[in-house]
Amino acid sequence: MSETGLPAMPLPSPSGLSAELEAELGKLAPVQTRRPLRQLAILVAVSLIYGASLLFFLTMRKDMDELPMYWLAAVAVGWLFGFLVPCYFALVPRKGTMTPRLRLAGVAVVVASIFFVSLGLIVHPMSPTLSQNYGWERFGRGHTCLELGLASALVPVVVGAIFLRGALPVGSRWVAAALGAGGGCMGGLVLHLHCNIADGFHVGLIHGGVVVVSALLSAAIVPRATEPR
Amino acid sequence: MADAKDLMARYCDGDASAFRELYAQVAPRLLGYLVKMARSRAVADDLLQQTFMKVHRARAAYVRGADPVPWIYSIAHRTFLDEARRVKRAVVRVAETDDLPEQQADLHGEAADRRDEPRADPELVKATLDALAELPAQQREAVVLTKLDGKSVAEAAEIAGTTVGAMKVRAHRGYEALRKLLGRTAAAPPPPAKAAGGKS
Repeated sequence: MSETGLPAMPLPSPSGLSAELEAELGKLAPVQTRRPLRQLAILVAVSLIYGASLLFFLTMRKDMDELPMYWLAAVAVGWLFGFLVPCYFALVPRKGTMTPRLRLAGVAVVVASIFFVSLGLIVHPMSPTLSQNYGWERFGRGHTCLELGLASALVPVVVGAIFLRGALPVGSRWVAAALGAGGGCMGGLVLHLHCNIADGFHVGLIHGGVVVVSALLSAAIVPRATEPR
Repeated sequence: MADAKDLMARYCDGDASAFRELYAQVAPRLLGYLVKMARSRAVADDLLQQTFMKVHRARAAYVRGADPVPWIYSIAHRTFLDEARRVKRAVVRVAETDDLPEQQADLHGEAADRRDEPRADPELVKATLDALAELPAQQREAVVLTKLDGKSVAEAAEIAGTTVGAMKVRAHRGYEALRKLLGRTAAAPPPPAKAAGGKS
């Protein structure tokens, strides 16, 4: 009997390695193992360069000079933080383990989604002349921002998926969602610095919605790449 | 015996003998887990080979300094779930006593790696495996990992990709259900006179 009162089960003897595995071992070559912090640094650098390139081609928002600088800077830092934190939880496991922090990744997705949608709905200063106000009536016309945000999210998500290829037998959806949310925040940052449509519905539901949509899309697609095959 | 971390690191550096040593270290425990989950030695053997093939293909995902065993268990867990889904059954049914785990025995009939442990009653082992098969897959996994394989709740949660709290609840519920099932098995069959008396 074990301590639990259940019988001690005999350990079975496994058979030898399969012929397929033996053949694979016959041509075994060294591999570069995963280095999470290095991967995070690469992901952040590549994503920021990509985001900056997009901004260079799209130009900065026209109403920038008329908006409060503290608000512009604080929200930009918020988006940046929203990009870094979920990506960190998705890529970097606790010391001595291989699996990323699934619970924290999940929490980061939910918090980022709620926070950025709410923030955009509640706090959205407008310049009297250069900002545009679409309101609820022209809400649908803001879809190009959603597309641009998702295009900005593409690089962090793809790079993260490549780094985590085959690494996640469990919890891959939460990790993928965290990559998507991080990418969505990257998209939000690009939109924050580019788009001069400044009404609450647009900023909250479209710019903030990029985080939600990107997380959902990533959770649906990315696990195909990150689960061992 | 070499540490699983060192073996995995050497294996990633191209040392095939390290993989064989890792297999020898981990495979018996993993096969025991898979047999308890799948209730079929043949299925468990196949899942074990699939698991190690996946480990081999995904070895570049290894993080140096990390314990690879929970990760390998997670792959086995996922492989089992995929197989269960593939055959469209949550529980892979098995045949009768032929599928009880085989073991290498010495002249005294004791398992080679369990000689110091008291021998389990084969009837009780079978009753436990039968009762385990009746549990929902998540509870079964929690009981197997925490109560039978001796993993901590945190380790079991990492393997199953869930939270420590959820694993505690699953293990507790599964253990209680298992105790009830085993109690029922021990009580059955009821004496006819008592059963008849209860109806009157």
